[in-house]
Amino acid sequence: MTDMTHTQVRVRRGPPRGDVLMRYAFFLLVLVVFVTFATLRPAFITPGNIHGMLMSASIAALMFLGLTWLIAAGEIDVSFMSVAALSNMVVAGLVFKGAGWGLAALGGLGAGVVFGLLNATLVAVLRLPALVITIATGALAASIAAAIGLGTSIALNNTGFVGDILDLRVGVVPLIALIVGALYAASWVVQERLTFGHYIYAMEQNRNAVVEAGVPVNRMLFLLFVLSGTVSSLAGVLLAANLSSGQPYLGTSYFLDGLTAVLLGGMALKVGKPNVIGTLTAVIFLIGLLNGAALLGWTDSQRQIVRGSLLLIGVGLVVFARTRRKA
Amino acid sequence: MISRQLTFRLLAFAALVAVIGLVFWSQSSAFASTGNLRSLMRHMSVQGLAALGLTFVIVVRHFDLSFPGIASMGAMTLGWLIASGLPLPVAIGGGLAVGLIFGLVNGIVVARLGLPDIVTTIATGGLAIGFSYFYSNGTSISQNFFMSGILDLNDRKIAGLDMPFAILMGAAALGAVLLHASRLGAGLYATGQNRTSAHFAGIPTRRLIVLAFALSGIGACLAITLLIASSGAANVTAGNQLLMPAFAAVYLGAALFGRPSIGATLAGTLLMSMMLNGFTLLAIPYYYSDAIVSTVLITAIAIFDPRVSGLLRRAGRRTGAAT
Repeated sequence: MTDMTHTQVRVRRGPPRGDVLMRYAFFLLVLVVFVTFATLRPAFITPGNIHGMLMSASIAALMFLGLTWLIAAGEIDVSFMSVAALSNMVVAGLVFKGAGWGLAALGGLGAGVVFGLLNATLVAVLRLPALVITIATGALAASIAAAIGLGTSIALNNTGFVGDILDLRVGVVPLIALIVGALYAASWVVQERLTFGHYIYAMEQNRNAVVEAGVPVNRMLFLLFVLSGTVSSLAGVLLAANLSSGQPYLGTSYFLDGLTAVLLGGMALKVGKPNVIGTLTAVIFLIGLLNGAALLGWTDSQRQIVRGSLLLIGVGLVVFARTRRKA
Repeated sequence: MISRQLTFRLLAFAALVAVIGLVFWSQSSAFASTGNLRSLMRHMSVQGLAALGLTFVIVVRHFDLSFPGIASMGAMTLGWLIASGLPLPVAIGGGLAVGLIFGLVNGIVVARLGLPDIVTTIATGGLAIGFSYFYSNGTSISQNFFMSGILDLNDRKIAGLDMPFAILMGAAALGAVLLHASRLGAGLYATGQNRTSAHFAGIPTRRLIVLAFALSGIGACLAITLLIASSGAANVTAGNQLLMPAFAAVYLGAALFGRPSIGATLAGTLLMSMMLNGFTLLAIPYYYSDAIVSTVLITAIAIFDPRVSGLLRRAGRRTGAAT
């Protein structure tokens, strides 16, 4: 048993030469693109811009953490952005009604946990199809979010302690970026070094085999959906303070980005398997790309096309890498 | 045995229609007026065409999330062609061609290259929305619409039926022949049941999957053509309202009748359109009706899922035995 584990580890540690390029190609791409932007538009690397980009990247990365693991486990969740929008509106609605930020943040988190539990129960316990269920729960969350603001956004005149936390910074780096970075480091340990993470990868490969091996797959899936709802709502709470308003339709802009980040990020390091380091890199890449493109004066539609193409390229590469590996 | 089950399912469907109809009728007597029933049928035509296209994709056990984006792209293409003064048939043909092309791309990428359907169609849908902005930078197009005669598509009547409903019925008849009375249809179901064994039984599974996605794209663009005919303008967000009702209609129908089929989708669409029409009539804001629609979808999938209904039945039997 131990022997087998050891050989497995050795195999993973010693990839073929060509793979090394694949593993780090994405990081190179990010570097090349960012250097290009910096030379074309020096405004790209001003401290203010870097701070802003890191801020949006941390919030987005927080939102996509649960999604990364769900997709790594071979499942899907398309309700994450609507859950974030819902908790964003719950916070805004409660603060607008005069509640304190502490209570409001708890309410927002609670909404996320409820939807996480709902998804988890329907998909992991009742074994219903994840895509259709999360389309429906996502639509439910989105419509509740719209109903809270009666169809419009809610402007807030203070951002409470959440705003204070967001304002803290270490040099140009916002404190929240460090916190999210630490969270991602911890998640990396969990996914790559602990059994839990190995089961996630194994579930994608062969669900039945993992069940036969005695792993409580349904319980894991349950946890993953609850986690996805929780981190999404945490991002929604932060967004309420960051935008100092509640935006019922903020979900749509995160939808494509979330899937793109996870799938494109899957190409980094693990060649075709969604992993947290890849997601983090891809989020920074996407935020930088959109920011740089805006500085270069691209229109929304052009950026939308770039997003869509990147997602297609990401999926294509993942499938290509997997089939080549199997061959 | 099978026919008895079908009778039961038809009765359940009729009961649902009656209950929903009565609830709305008791709230507002205008619900049963001829004018409202006609607008209900118009609404059903738009939703139904999109749902019919999606049915084929669901039958081969795939997903298509791109059709709202494709529909927006088709809408803008149609609007642009009309605005540049081309004759109506050419413009409509152009809009449908967009649906066909994007559908073919989806199908080929999913069936031939083996990319995962969900993410691929999300990406192609996103691309289609991006492209749809190119015609007018995102503003809605309505030049020449009055002169072109596209509005007649909404207003004219055929054999006593409003044109949109006649088109839906025609499309449903074509779809029913294709899916339920031809070898192609049997092949589509077989592909959905088990792609590998269908392949070894000599069914061209890849080609059928491409066909299903192509039909989904065309259905979405045909739906949006009718929507444009009734609203008189093409805009880039036209397709957004198609996604949820189409999925809800197909799944509600499949849940009611045991498997996705043309009749099941029409039944699901009727239920969805009755609800959405009723909510509009009662002036309930869209965000509440969206919430109800999604709740209905979740409940329908859950209740009619064989495992869950089995559980319920067993629980019912146990309480029955206890008393």
